[in-house]
Amino acid sequence: MRGLLFALLFAGAGAHAQTVTREEGLAAWERIYAVASHPRCTNCHVGAQQEPMWEGLHYKAGTPHGMGVKADGSRIGAESMPCRTCHVTAEGRNVASPAPAQIDDAWRLPPVEMDWLGEDSASVCAQLRDPERNDGSDIADLVVHLETSAFVAWGFAPGPGRSVPPGSVAQIAADVDLWGAAGSPCQ
Amino acid sequence: MKLTVNGTEHEVDVEDDMPLLWVLRDELGITGPKYGCGIAQCGACTVHVDGISVRSCQLAAADVDGEVTTIEGLGTPQALHAVQAAWIEHQVAQCGYCQSGQIMQAASFLDLNPEPDDAQIDAAMSGNLCRCGSYPRIRAAVKTAASRLQGV
Repeated sequence: MRGLLFALLFAGAGAHAQTVTREEGLAAWERIYAVASHPRCTNCHVGAQQEPMWEGLHYKAGTPHGMGVKADGSRIGAESMPCRTCHVTAEGRNVASPAPAQIDDAWRLPPVEMDWLGEDSASVCAQLRDPERNDGSDIADLVVHLETSAFVAWGFAPGPGRSVPPGSVAQIAADVDLWGAAGSPCQ
Repeated sequence: MKLTVNGTEHEVDVEDDMPLLWVLRDELGITGPKYGCGIAQCGACTVHVDGISVRSCQLAAADVDGEVTTIEGLGTPQALHAVQAAWIEHQVAQCGYCQSGQIMQAASFLDLNPEPDDAQIDAAMSGNLCRCGSYPRIRAAVKTAASRLQGV
């Protein structure tokens, strides 16, 4: 799928990855940041903060997750109430908000270093291209993550009652590819 | 499908997406877990799957991937679980409807975190609602149970 998208992206221009300009890379980054800064992502990409976030329904922006949920040092709430107490690991049961989301992966928060909540474009950009702070990923790893993560897939199809970030899994994967080919430029 | 509940294997003929809570109550007659909200907002239906507390109203029968324990299987009248004993000692229950969920939540919590601080107790129990407001006694009972489990 990724190969096909990549081929389609560049087939018309006959371009090679090395010819992607800084401007094109920055444009791709803007689209990436529009997704990364969306509450569907930042609700869990909360950095060292203990509380994941809620958004939507009657919850105002900046509302912490209810039920006193704390990620704790384990980032899965093992020291108090595990994520999986309410969030089921299963595929295909796309429950409507406010029932807890279900995905086919172990419920957990992203690494603390991947802190996107309230962070500006320059900050998230610098973090995402730094293997020390992006879970040891190169651009290809990031693309694979986007294409295969159950969390990301759910984020673009979160079911009724939940807002959806702009674009799609395929589009953000292609944009990260493009951004990487341009040398991962930041503003 | 097969489900192991409180150490007994059961064969149940249910739809894949029937919530575990309904299987327990309506198919197996195990009525300790209670229906409260149906959307994991209250904790009344809490049971254990392989020792971890889960809201059985959210877990579809086909997605159960371990052994289920309900309040009926946590202890016996002759050998109460430390959390059950502490609940009696502190006379926690008022109307009692939420209490099996509270006890199952507390038992799983203390299994994962045997030496919790007060903030962790509050966080662990915040997903279990009690309309009688028995929260101060719940907190006290959890602390007592933690001490007993540590042999203090």
